[in-house]
Amino acid sequence: MAGYKGPGLRREAHLCCDPTHPSLSSSQPVEAKTKAQGMSHQSDVLPCDQLRDQVIGNQSSHTQLMETLLHLRQTVDDCITQLTTRPPQLDLPLEEQRHNQATGEQEAFLRRVVNLLQSGAMWGLGLQAPRPTLGPRDDAGGGQQAQLSRQLDQLVHQLSHLEVAFVSHDLSNRGIDISAFERSKFQDFKTYQGDKYHEDKNTMGFINLGVSENKLCTDLMTERLSRSDMNHLEDALLQYSDQRGQPFLREEVARFLTYYCKSPARLDPENVVVLSGCCSVFSALATVLCDPGEALLTPTPFFGGLVMGSYLYSKVELMPVHLDSEITDGSARPFQLTVDKLEQALLEATLKGKKVRGLLLINPQNPLGDVYSRDSLEEYLEFAKRYNLHVIIDELYMLSVFDDSVTFRSVLSMESLPDPNRTHMIWGTSKDFGISGFRFGALYTHNKEVASAVSSFGFLNGISGITQYKLCRLLQDREWIDKVYLPTNHSRLKAAHRYITNKLKALKIPFLNRGSGLYVWMNLKEYLQPCTFEEELLLHHRFLGNKLILSPGKTYMCKEPGWFRLIFSDKPLPLKLAMHRFYEVLAEQKRDLRVKQLEDPQKE
Amino acid sequence: MFALPEKESRAPSTCPGPASTQDLDSNCGDGLERECSRKPDQKLPELYGVGDPTAGFSSNSSHLSSRGGIIKWFWDSAEAGYRTYHMDEYDEDKNPSGIINLGTSENKLCFDLLSKRLSQSDMLRVEPALLQYPDWRGHLFLREEVARFLSFYCKSPAPLQAENVVVLNGCASVFSALATVLCEVGEAFLIPAPYYGAITQHVCLYGNVRLVSVYLDSEVTGPDTRPFQLTVEKLEMALQGANSQGIKVKGLILINPQNPLGDIYSPAELQNFLEFAKRHELHVMVDEVYMLSVFEESVGYRSVLSLERLPDPQRTHVMWATSKDFGMSGLRFGTLYTENRDVATAVASLCRYHGLSGLVQHQMAQLLRDRDWINQVYLPENHARLKAAHTYVAGELRALGIPFLSRGAGFFIWADLRKYLPEGSFEEERRLWRRFLDHKVLVSFGKAFECKEPGWFRLVFSDKAHRLCLGMQRVRQVLEGKSQVAEDPPACQTQEPRDRHRHAPLSAHPGECGTRNPGSTHLSTLPSLVCWLFPFKLISSWSQYGY
Repeated sequence: MAGYKGPGLRREAHLCCDPTHPSLSSSQPVEAKTKAQGMSHQSDVLPCDQLRDQVIGNQSSHTQLMETLLHLRQTVDDCITQLTTRPPQLDLPLEEQRHNQATGEQEAFLRRVVNLLQSGAMWGLGLQAPRPTLGPRDDAGGGQQAQLSRQLDQLVHQLSHLEVAFVSHDLSNRGIDISAFERSKFQDFKTYQGDKYHEDKNTMGFINLGVSENKLCTDLMTERLSRSDMNHLEDALLQYSDQRGQPFLREEVARFLTYYCKSPARLDPENVVVLSGCCSVFSALATVLCDPGEALLTPTPFFGGLVMGSYLYSKVELMPVHLDSEITDGSARPFQLTVDKLEQALLEATLKGKKVRGLLLINPQNPLGDVYSRDSLEEYLEFAKRYNLHVIIDELYMLSVFDDSVTFRSVLSMESLPDPNRTHMIWGTSKDFGISGFRFGALYTHNKEVASAVSSFGFLNGISGITQYKLCRLLQDREWIDKVYLPTNHSRLKAAHRYITNKLKALKIPFLNRGSGLYVWMNLKEYLQPCTFEEELLLHHRFLGNKLILSPGKTYMCKEPGWFRLIFSDKPLPLKLAMHRFYEVLAEQKRDLRVKQLEDPQKE
Repeated sequence: MFALPEKESRAPSTCPGPASTQDLDSNCGDGLERECSRKPDQKLPELYGVGDPTAGFSSNSSHLSSRGGIIKWFWDSAEAGYRTYHMDEYDEDKNPSGIINLGTSENKLCFDLLSKRLSQSDMLRVEPALLQYPDWRGHLFLREEVARFLSFYCKSPAPLQAENVVVLNGCASVFSALATVLCEVGEAFLIPAPYYGAITQHVCLYGNVRLVSVYLDSEVTGPDTRPFQLTVEKLEMALQGANSQGIKVKGLILINPQNPLGDIYSPAELQNFLEFAKRHELHVMVDEVYMLSVFEESVGYRSVLSLERLPDPQRTHVMWATSKDFGMSGLRFGTLYTENRDVATAVASLCRYHGLSGLVQHQMAQLLRDRDWINQVYLPENHARLKAAHTYVAGELRALGIPFLSRGAGFFIWADLRKYLPEGSFEEERRLWRRFLDHKVLVSFGKAFECKEPGWFRLVFSDKAHRLCLGMQRVRQVLEGKSQVAEDPPACQTQEPRDRHRHAPLSAHPGECGTRNPGSTHLSTLPSLVCWLFPFKLISSWSQYGY
């Protein structure tokens, strides 16, 4: 199945621990979560071995249950795919169409049931508060039994509850999908929110190195935003404005991008549209460029949050262009994107009957931290032009290139774009200025049609006039940005990066050393045995159990298990504590692997 | 969740429906023939109409998807009307001959109070948590404040719960998100017409959901006691009609106080409508965005949240925003209150597209918390100013002998200018609107609200006195200069709140009301696409700016 389809990929969706959604990353497979929970609540109570036994015990039974569910779902999926991939029969007699529709409805019904079963199962079993049976008083064997039966009871209860919800018909199919998605994360999110690390109040809480936020410069930003020039108020700010954004802000964005992207010519404010966050820009862009079911090519691993952007509202799919960690012919570095790979992915998509409308690039790349050279960028754009593909370039991290030896080239810096009418650039302040809570994203496109169409969303994805004013003041203050903010931010990022990478080196963990972005992409393959996504997830949950949130590679559609993204843009204290927990988990993991190795031959 | 080919992907990307069978193959650029092909007034039955904002549209863009083409078309239509105004906006000093805007429903009367309040030191707090990713439903402190605020001002019998509150960037977003999570592509909501036309676009852009108009009459007939009265019978008929066309109706939208009528539903009426919805398992979205803009105390407004017992609480969703009641449409703060956790969760997960800056969330919480200021300063002053402005405009209209409807709520007067349209066509209505614009005053015409009778206009009065006077002066010039009394002039019993003002001039034209043949009103004379597009221009232009 193509793109974000099919249960396998749905599972990824569940795994997603994307920066737009601070979450423990959720709930699949269930056994892993249970394990994590077990650990998180008792690692200080139970001896390690006992815990492991318990976990392994739970694991197998839940795995069966989940497998059954997934299997059921796969069946339904396949059925639906068969139905929907049939070419549209326009001349079909009405009767038959009706019949088809009816069948479709039945399928939809089945699918919803399975959906609910699965989400219910995950929800119900995924993250429960520690149950008494999990307590240290239980002996390992009996405890497992009791816990298992109780969890099954719980599952049954959950399902019957969900059935009631289902019968109530309150939500549309897509509403149910959206809701199930949110729900699966909701519990996690609540758990995280309720137990966040705080350097005074809750030192035992979760440290979140999974969400890409820059927390290193909140002092500078708070100070700047508190200055009196920020608090200007005029009636125009409280009234409806141009849907594309206030003219003053669009002008400032154009000036800002001209300067920081080193554009050869002055950028035109008419080509700027501002919306409430880059997610909104991407979602609006995907909607106006693609019809439902059409697709965008995207090199993977890549930031999974965009999946939601494209799917929740717009039903646009993403077709992965899988990159390899291994360096092969034609590539000079791991995970290198080449035109050959693009060609191949496009061909595959076309063979699958997918209509590909564009190419999505993230530069600097997330999670790799890669920065595309001028030449490669040009090649990608030429490739897109050959096939009349739009190119959406997300340059959200363009000012977070902290290594001076790395030269970032914005697409807007190019002398001439191969296909200016199909090249659309996205930027926002969330990462580069560490203000994700501002909800600001900007689109720059030469294509007036696209700009106009995206502007229609200005009403649904608009930004408060007061916020627009503050943003304008912020972007205007070049003096502060160039002399205070950027140097400080870069040196802090550099220091944090150095700290983390030294730790990783000491642990002999391979990672990509890139000098841009807020993250390190590292390889923990060595700690997985066997090297599977299941094991990757187990390790992820082991981190969670130790109150550390990282993002597993599967979230980024990485095709090789074992990769993790770690956000290093946090304050020294939590960072240090996080690395301590990180080390603990890996040491524990290694011990377990050794035990496993010893046990395996014995079993044989 | 993701994936799985769904019905949507098979469905056509435009709002589908019977109306689209009238499509021609013409493209965006050459609309000459199309205007004739599209005769909305002929195809619409009397009692209801299935909205199909995109019928007849086909995109020829090489860059946009087909839905992208439609979305762009929404924008272009908005642009054209809006551009005229914006290129020549009135400014007392810089452009005194510019266009006065009596079309956009914004309250510009209390900026002094608001600006003072929003500049107080408690508003200016900046802290790291406000700068980072929030809970997508909105910061808890704000949701708690909204719950307390609504409990108090809606006179809720029991305290409302913060858990039931979702905060978004404006009510437009609430409509969009609700449409998406409640309906499949192509399904519909019922809505009494005339209504605030931008809703058409809100539910269509992302959600691809349609509106079925429940047409209301200016004529008072049968058991009705006032013009444009909504009754359960009318709802039933519209629902049946839609069903008979194979359209699945999933909900009912009620705007209370109503826009553009200014009508207020009594608790008994509200109860009846809710019972109707419950009978048919329809969701009810109650838009109460003008709830604190009821400036006539005698009106006795009741929020749906004040009802002792909701017939179907799981399907009742209430929205409110600060745009109107606090005159801050540019602030983009709206909120959904629903007891249905599924709906709340689903809407919340769409909030990543409809988020609101943390700093603004803090300001909103501070504002809503300040009951002293709201009750003792803001509301009394705001109501007094609204009342004064209303009295002035009502007086002007009366002097012109123009019947109008106004019920002491909202920012607008729904005026009957049918006597200025000799043929009583929408074409004339548009031409009259154009004459207003040529005389530098922007108003909204009835077609933009899906009003089925040509000749109704909405005038917004919540503006500063000097602009209002100038605006009304220009209105008068147009009407006095161009007054064309029809041979068979329409008359209609319209009334103001509590029948306080009876307008004499109407009786001078004792004509029949509502006898026009709807077929005669189609747009058949103007030879360009622009004209054909006009109704949509208005829908998008004013409605966007004219909530």
